[in-house]
Amino acid sequence: MLHVKQTSSDIVPESDWSAARDLVKTDLRPTDLVVFSPFWTDPLGRQAFGDLASLKREGRSDEQRFARAFEVSRRGAHDAVFSTWKKVDEKHAGALTVTTWENPSYKKVIDDLLDLAHPDRLTVTRVDGESETPCPFVHGASAGGSTAVPQGLLTPADKFVCQGGHVGVAVLHGLDHHPHLCLYATPMAGATLRMKFSNVAFGPSLVGHAGIQWLVERTPSPEKVEMAFFAEGHRLGTAAHQVGAGWNRFEAATPELDGKHADLVAEVSPSRQRQFCFEATTRGAGP
Amino acid sequence: MSEGAVSEVGEAAVSEAPAKVVDAPKAAWVIRNADYLIGGGIALAYVIWLLATARGLGFSRDEGFYFSASGEYERWFDLLFKDPKHAFVRSKIDSIWAANHEHPSLMKSLFALSHHFFWGKWKVFQDQSTAFRFPGMLSMGLALFVTYLFGTRAYSRRAGIVAALALGLMPNVFYHAHLACFDVPIMAMWITCIFTYWTAEKNGGLKWALLAGVVYGLTLETKHNAWMLPGVFLPHAVLLYGGFSAKAEGTKRLPVPASLIAMATIGPAVFLALWPWLWHDTMPRIQEYVNFHVHHEYYNIEFLGVTYFGPPSPKSYMPVMIAATVPTVTLVLFAVGAFDRLRAILARFACWAKENLKVALSWPKETPAADPWQTDILLFLSLAVPLAVFLLPRTPIFGGTKHWITAYPALAIFAGRGFDMVATRIEALLESKTALDRTKRDVVVAFVGAITFVAPFAVTRHSHPFGLSAYVPLFGGTAGGADLGLNRQFWGFTTESLDPWFLKNTKPGDAVYIMDTAWPSWQRMVDEKRVPPWLRGVGTPAEAEISIVHHEQHINEVDYNIWTEYGSAAPEYVLVHDGVPIISVYRRPASLARGRGRR
Repeated sequence: MLHVKQTSSDIVPESDWSAARDLVKTDLRPTDLVVFSPFWTDPLGRQAFGDLASLKREGRSDEQRFARAFEVSRRGAHDAVFSTWKKVDEKHAGALTVTTWENPSYKKVIDDLLDLAHPDRLTVTRVDGESETPCPFVHGASAGGSTAVPQGLLTPADKFVCQGGHVGVAVLHGLDHHPHLCLYATPMAGATLRMKFSNVAFGPSLVGHAGIQWLVERTPSPEKVEMAFFAEGHRLGTAAHQVGAGWNRFEAATPELDGKHADLVAEVSPSRQRQFCFEATTRGAGP
Repeated sequence: MSEGAVSEVGEAAVSEAPAKVVDAPKAAWVIRNADYLIGGGIALAYVIWLLATARGLGFSRDEGFYFSASGEYERWFDLLFKDPKHAFVRSKIDSIWAANHEHPSLMKSLFALSHHFFWGKWKVFQDQSTAFRFPGMLSMGLALFVTYLFGTRAYSRRAGIVAALALGLMPNVFYHAHLACFDVPIMAMWITCIFTYWTAEKNGGLKWALLAGVVYGLTLETKHNAWMLPGVFLPHAVLLYGGFSAKAEGTKRLPVPASLIAMATIGPAVFLALWPWLWHDTMPRIQEYVNFHVHHEYYNIEFLGVTYFGPPSPKSYMPVMIAATVPTVTLVLFAVGAFDRLRAILARFACWAKENLKVALSWPKETPAADPWQTDILLFLSLAVPLAVFLLPRTPIFGGTKHWITAYPALAIFAGRGFDMVATRIEALLESKTALDRTKRDVVVAFVGAITFVAPFAVTRHSHPFGLSAYVPLFGGTAGGADLGLNRQFWGFTTESLDPWFLKNTKPGDAVYIMDTAWPSWQRMVDEKRVPPWLRGVGTPAEAEISIVHHEQHINEVDYNIWTEYGSAAPEYVLVHDGVPIISVYRRPASLARGRGRR
């Protein structure tokens, strides 16, 4: 009987997905997250939700940056990340359940370096000792991809191109197999990659995340990629990403810059690990 | 019911036939050949089913490579037919047979000959791919035929029929049975080789021994799983010839079984004779072949949410995947049959120990039926040897269930035995508790058999063409497999299932990034109009208007790379099986011209 039951359709009708989307859309704010559970339903959710399932939401660095989350789930699945969040609403759209969660530790994003990764707000240079060579921004073609796997991280079409490296927005395949939108900033052999973001609005902290493509991280090694952040001539903090650590968080307290605007410089030290990607945001103390 | 004794059952079935039918020569012939007719009928019906469903199944990566290699080999056969002298010139042999020389050539040669005759010469098949695939399908027919015969001769005709049905009604087996690959052929040759060896030992005489040697050679020439067969034969021969078997005679005039001698001599000769690549530089090339498989690269495969890509392999992989993919009713019947046979083996051993070692044992009370050819043990070895390899930490698991598919005929035979026991019990109950006559009791048992296999049939039929995504209801079906993080597919064969979407949503000249589809597979799909011929396959998302991604955990990187390229995470279409994503299809936003950056 079970076998026969299996042959009956288990497909969630498109109308349920549309109804769930409409439920979410009416109440969705830019600071809200949309999640599809279990994770394997994510492609179906992205198809139905379109732009609501934006790259920022899908390739999120972390959940803390979102005030609320709409979790569209099937068969009672819930993402473990919401176990500490407050459930404020639950609605049904056919076979789907839309749960609204409130983030108890929400910290507002003030500025997101990913939004500043264009020539108006970012300059990139290659630093060889005392010499600093500009890396121009190009609208080019992406590089990578084939009919075989593994392929590694795709070099984006729009990027700052240095001799031996580049900086552009890409989506990392993290060690957790989840997507992470980040700045693909290639460490270079024997040279430092310097990125200067102009007029960044600061809060009390700088929060970032970094990772290396899954293909590399899946085999841990002692190798590291080191980053340092500077503003107003001071070192704000450093972060060292060891191969195998996965997508992980770093944070620097910036109380002296809270409420100010300043240029933020990020430097990636020389390393053999090419498929390095990071993101960083300035954040408030709360909502 | 016989306790593992062999041909008595089949012969008994013959003697039970009505006298007036036996008198008629034709009927007598039918009865005499009943087992061949039943086994052949099951095989024929199954091959017809495979042919009827082949058009709907896309081409896997490996099939694409074997199509290409077979095309090369076909050139050699052309030469052989037209200019045999030149066909044996080394330069011709080496240049042609170098293609895909990491695998033996028997099946690819058969693919080539099938293509040559059934498509090229006699126009039997419209699709070239069906001609290439046909020998693989026939080998599934052979597997069913031999499984039926083995089950019938080892236990009963009823066990044989159920064994063949159980083997054919497994979604993973049904999928692989369509392909121009080697997995189902090696399954067929594995059980055929064991059956031939068993028959050789049982019947004695040189003819069967020689045949065993030839069949082992063909098995070696099919796939390297044949290297494991000594692990089946040698322990069995030791038991058979080591004094444990009271009645066994067979080819015992020699100190070792003649069939084994034939396998050790004729087998390698057949292997070499049928593989032209080995005709020159033989030893280095054999070494290369062995090294390729001994040091085979580990591919990615997901199991319980973890993608494995190297040793150690999880020991639970094989048992969990069997439980998740073989219809549960088949496994229950297997458990019943295997327990019964294990119990019989232990009972015989206990009796032997009592007699030969003078050990005082209270069990068994009654002497079990003799098993002079150690059939039960042979079948357990046939089951255990291919499975045991997957308990070793260094054995790659990337092939999923197909790499231990050789164990399934024995599993199915034990399931047949299990059903036979259940049916016998039902018959006894019907006889003692009801007034039904023999015919009606037979109808009831036949009905029980039918409903037992309605479900495996339904689930197997329903799994097509997503056989690798199918998991049994005990595991929650396809969605349950996704919940558990079990592999959803490999080889990119599902691309063809996008055809209806392609037809409606693409225009001539559209470039499609074909992702995990191998180039020869894509080209064949285009040639056979399995996907719109106006599409242009390309190798990167950057070149494509449309990009597809086959959902496997390790392939997430391709999904995310497409997001990077198109600046969006929203697919335009998701191909599903039972609601579970199989392929996502992305379309390049109109604002993003190919090869240019975002504005």
